[in-house]
Amino acid sequence: MAPLLQIEDLHTEIRLRSATVQALSGVSLTVEAGECLGIVGESGSGKTMTALSTMQLLPPGGHITGGRILLDGQVISTLDDNAMRHVRGNEIGMIFQDPLTSLNPTMTIGDQIAETVRLHRGAGKQEALARAVEVLSLVGMPRPAERVRAYPHQLSGGMRQRVMIAMALACEPRLVIADEPTTALDVTIQKQILELLDDLRRRLGMAVILVTHDLGVIAGRADRAAVMYAGRVMEETTTTRLFGNPRHPYTEALFQALPGKSGDDSGRLYNIPGQPPDLTRPPAGCKFAARCRYVRDACTADEPPLAGDADHPYRCFFPVGQATDPAEPAVLVTAEQAAERAAQEAKADGQPLLRIEHLVKNFPVTAGAVLQRRVGAVSAVADVSFSIRPGQTFGLVGESGCGKTTVGRLIVGLERASGGSILLDGEDLAKVKRNDRKRRGAHVQLMFQDSYASMDPRMRVGPILREPLAIQRVGSRRQQQAKIDAMLDEVGLPRAAVERYPHEFSGGQRQRLGLARALILSPKLLVADEPVSALDVSIQAQILNLMQDLQRDLGLSYLFISHDLSVVRYMADTIGVMYLGKLVEVGPADDVYYRPVHPYTKGLIDAVPVPDPQAERAARQKGVAGELPSNIHPPSGCRFRTRCPFAQDLCAEQEPPLRPFTARGHLAACHFPLREPEAAALSEAPA
Amino acid sequence: MVRRLFQAAAVLLLVTIITFALLRAIPGNVAAAVMGPNVYRDPAEIKLFDQTYGFNRPWYSQYLLWLGHLLQGNLGYSWNLNQSVASLLGQRILKTVVLVGISVVLAVIIAVPIGMLQAVRRNKFIDHFFNTFSTVFYAMPSFLLGLLLILVFAIKFPIFPAEAPQGATLGVIFSNFNGMILPIATLTLITLALFSRYMRSSVLDNLTEDYVRTAKAKGASEWQILVRHVLRNSLIPIVTLLGLSLPGILSGALITESVFNYPGMGLLFYQQAQRSDYPVLLGIVIVVALATVVGSLLADVAYAVLDPRVRYQKS
Amino acid sequence: MSVFNVPPEPPDPSLPTEGLISDTVTVGAAVQAPAEAAVAAGMLPATRPRSAFRRGLEVFFENKLAVAGGVIIVVMVLFCSLGPLFYHGNTTVVNFINQTLPPGAGHPLGTDANGNDVLARLMTSGQISLEVGIAAAILATVIGVLWGSVAGYFGGIIDAVMMRIVDAVLSIPVLFLALVIVAIVTPSEPILILVIAMTSWLTTSRLVRGEALSLRVREYVQAMRVMGGGSARAVLRHIAPNAIGTIVVNLSFQVADAIGLVVALSYLGLGIRPPEEDWGAMLSNGITYVADGYWWLIVPAGVCIVIVITAFIWIGEGLRDAVEVRLQRR
Repeated sequence: MAPLLQIEDLHTEIRLRSATVQALSGVSLTVEAGECLGIVGESGSGKTMTALSTMQLLPPGGHITGGRILLDGQVISTLDDNAMRHVRGNEIGMIFQDPLTSLNPTMTIGDQIAETVRLHRGAGKQEALARAVEVLSLVGMPRPAERVRAYPHQLSGGMRQRVMIAMALACEPRLVIADEPTTALDVTIQKQILELLDDLRRRLGMAVILVTHDLGVIAGRADRAAVMYAGRVMEETTTTRLFGNPRHPYTEALFQALPGKSGDDSGRLYNIPGQPPDLTRPPAGCKFAARCRYVRDACTADEPPLAGDADHPYRCFFPVGQATDPAEPAVLVTAEQAAERAAQEAKADGQPLLRIEHLVKNFPVTAGAVLQRRVGAVSAVADVSFSIRPGQTFGLVGESGCGKTTVGRLIVGLERASGGSILLDGEDLAKVKRNDRKRRGAHVQLMFQDSYASMDPRMRVGPILREPLAIQRVGSRRQQQAKIDAMLDEVGLPRAAVERYPHEFSGGQRQRLGLARALILSPKLLVADEPVSALDVSIQAQILNLMQDLQRDLGLSYLFISHDLSVVRYMADTIGVMYLGKLVEVGPADDVYYRPVHPYTKGLIDAVPVPDPQAERAARQKGVAGELPSNIHPPSGCRFRTRCPFAQDLCAEQEPPLRPFTARGHLAACHFPLREPEAAALSEAPA
Repeated sequence: MVRRLFQAAAVLLLVTIITFALLRAIPGNVAAAVMGPNVYRDPAEIKLFDQTYGFNRPWYSQYLLWLGHLLQGNLGYSWNLNQSVASLLGQRILKTVVLVGISVVLAVIIAVPIGMLQAVRRNKFIDHFFNTFSTVFYAMPSFLLGLLLILVFAIKFPIFPAEAPQGATLGVIFSNFNGMILPIATLTLITLALFSRYMRSSVLDNLTEDYVRTAKAKGASEWQILVRHVLRNSLIPIVTLLGLSLPGILSGALITESVFNYPGMGLLFYQQAQRSDYPVLLGIVIVVALATVVGSLLADVAYAVLDPRVRYQKS
Repeated sequence: MSVFNVPPEPPDPSLPTEGLISDTVTVGAAVQAPAEAAVAAGMLPATRPRSAFRRGLEVFFENKLAVAGGVIIVVMVLFCSLGPLFYHGNTTVVNFINQTLPPGAGHPLGTDANGNDVLARLMTSGQISLEVGIAAAILATVIGVLWGSVAGYFGGIIDAVMMRIVDAVLSIPVLFLALVIVAIVTPSEPILILVIAMTSWLTTSRLVRGEALSLRVREYVQAMRVMGGGSARAVLRHIAPNAIGTIVVNLSFQVADAIGLVVALSYLGLGIRPPEEDWGAMLSNGITYVADGYWWLIVPAGVCIVIVITAFIWIGEGLRDAVEVRLQRR
């Protein structure tokens, strides 16, 4: 049977003012009816360009310059705009990444969905609206007849993405292209949306192209997957085979750079050196050659053709892996082994460096005509307590609105606590006066998610790095320069960087600069707020490795804040899970990850896509249901009860206290936990 | 919303204070300022004036008294023209409203499609063409534009009269509408220059938004996207602009009226400014300020109505 | 002329980004060994570093209109200030014999109603128009910056009160306010500068306040606080330098507006008093003869006004692009 979509040797260019970007150089893919093809790659790989080329939605300056695309045997890549309009939304639907900006803010969602129907089916207003309601219920929107008159900003992120899906499906297309459909969403919502897509695909018999950078998502949802790099498909095969027996060095390197895949996470992540190539001047030969650890002369001379067998082609002269699939899959660390290791590591030594006790932060919500009156408060951080030992990493994980960022900001002094204490080496930072802010800066520093935004664009790197020293009045000019040079060496940047501006560096390099600036005062504690979330996987590994090296060399402690549980598990010795301002579980990293106690933790772990097809398939139907409640009026008692499958009356009446479950510092706050506390824990005094 | 009303009221109050300060800043005796220097001959008159209007009392009660008059609609009396300011304004204000109203409506109607056209054909010839036009008209002082129009259309090619209809009532104005063409054209052109630039910018902003890409992905044509999606979103900031530019438009009206001798509020202001007729001047200032504050408020209300993000808070 | 207290155009929406690939660094041909330190070599962009200021200048000079504007202003300033040194036309003596002569021998642009040479008058009038316009704009900017920074920095009730005052003065149309003041005080050149400045500082203050507010919450200011830096450092080292770009852009538009305003006031007869004349007064004196077709009494001055104002607008737009490019490069 002929495939539904055939992309044959597609070449796409983007003509900019100063240069032309060779976005795609010969991409060939097929999608069968009803299957899900995953296209995975990092930024600049061309995965989005492939999707946009299929729909002829290229950005200004973009042209298809070679090859063709066939839908059901008909060529669509050469259709003019008028003819293409019949394809878009009708035969092929598309879902974009950010549902907030991708929806028209001044049109009701009903009208936006109905528009598709009116365009392609010629339906009247009422008819189209009825169909919109129908599709909304199909995508799982509660009370669709009511919500159909809502505006996009009135819905939550997950609901908006459902609306996008509804729009794409309204005319029952045979193919849906989803471009990073869940990247902008919380992990638990992400899982819901991916389940929905899967479900709809089966019910409606659609084919789906899933474009993403997240290997875990591919592992769980795609039947076949194609790995793209620098505008080429490097490898393509069934998902199981791709993860079990990758043939291309890039795929292999990617897996080894992922914290989640490395299985044995006491080792280092593989660090793919360098950057993706500049596609305005594409290198001759294999595009990955410059970063490949197996590179040989032949690689830079000619571009490798597609090799391998028909159902596992790859583009490499010297592939890795085995010609036939290995008999057994790689052994993963079992829960028991992990718990053992956790027990060994959890030997507490000495006094904690940082102790948070009953920390509270409320943000006032004001309203009022003349004078702004306080009508309520956002309970951002509600009675959080934990401690960090010297030289250790504490990972604070949670979804949006959980308060983890606020905790970080409270510790570094960007917010004042509404209650509780922050004890650094015994001194309460929460009570620090304005003048003492300087002293705090010497001990605790912050690393931002977006280092670019956190650096004054008008300053060169040298003054940026000197500023902390100047504020703290450390040393003479010459000594400061020496410190700056030393720091640049530590983070792996050339000393000449002091002359440059931040914008001249890549994302990964800027994160290094951020680290350098944060550490130049030799603080004891570094709060890292989502330090690698905006980076590609290959760059991410570089930064994580660097952070570990620095911790070892400088004896640092980290408060590692992230929504990415796999990264946190890799980096942290202790994990704390936050939900809606509360710390629901805390304990040694592996213990929390492999033997979670709190239902939310378990749901979170299940929801995080792991790059292991078997594990992903087993995790279907798990995760966390429902939506995040408001934190102006959080649920009474246990804040998680509205989404908890085990919730009972007691949960609404009484807030569960944080109590120990093991003798090694694993605590959770739940009336009906997933495990019972060990006997040893009950006899010990609370930590 | 209520906050905005309070703010507007505060602003108006400040305006009255400023105006009052201006009144007191007039050198010499207030009575002389109002009634003319001749009054110095008769001190009794001055005394009477002071007593009637309370200018012999401390300044804060003067202000309150004056404010009280204001709120009752008593804007003062023009000794120069021997009429109460209020009645003077009553005759003239409608004419200015007609001039400004027609010009603004025309300017908006023309600017919206031009701005859109420019944005869609960005950096092409038509964009540069209209850009030059709008720059020139923006840079050109309105009186110069008026003079040029007179030169060309009333003198060289006598199509329209050089002077606006002088009638006292609106009816006369409309029956001699020929004479209104050039003044309306002047005011429209300078307002148009500003509006089309903003419209172009607003449309450009919206064209690069993601929802346009989504609409395209649904299969909508360029025209459909422009009309159904972009137009409404682009118009919303224009509403705010209308509110902000009202003072400027009124200034333009003043000049236009003086160039074409159009008996509106602006011309009255200009004429009395030459004669230092302070009651009229200050009365008009208050009225005009009131108009702009109310106009701004209306623009805000319209904005809130048009933009669902403001109208409906997150549920 | 812009009597609108509104900038002639909101900033142009962002131009398409240069590259869709975030890391457009060309890796050297040499293959890197996967060691941390070795990664550093060859990872710097090939371009030489240029200061932000120089880059802004480059963008400015690429903009043809902006350069044209600059040239026009320079030429005009030279024309008005140095012109009279070279061209000696009659500008003061009233000479009724030579009244309103059309352009011809001895008088390239003809003579006006007083028998004065139009070209010479153009130069002297230009001096006044330009002086008043530029001085008023600078004064307005200074007042506006001070007012706006204080309001933006302190926030709260001080901000609210100061901004309400701005709103109040703004709601009185510029021309009306200026006329009232001028009716009270007889204008001389310095007074006129003051009056125009008094009516023009408002938009600048709003702009500066907006900048101060937005810059205060920028992440790099927060980063500085974490390091232990205080408010003084925030304002002096981070907020002010980043706001200067906007202020300079606004200054150019202010000059355009100020010249427009002084010319309008003079036209209405309430600006520069005779025997001094500026371009507006030339126009005002010339209209009585328009019906007779004596175009040279109006057109030269008119053209000068339009050209100068347009030039400042072009310069302003060029500056704005230059400032934005500096901050937008990622």
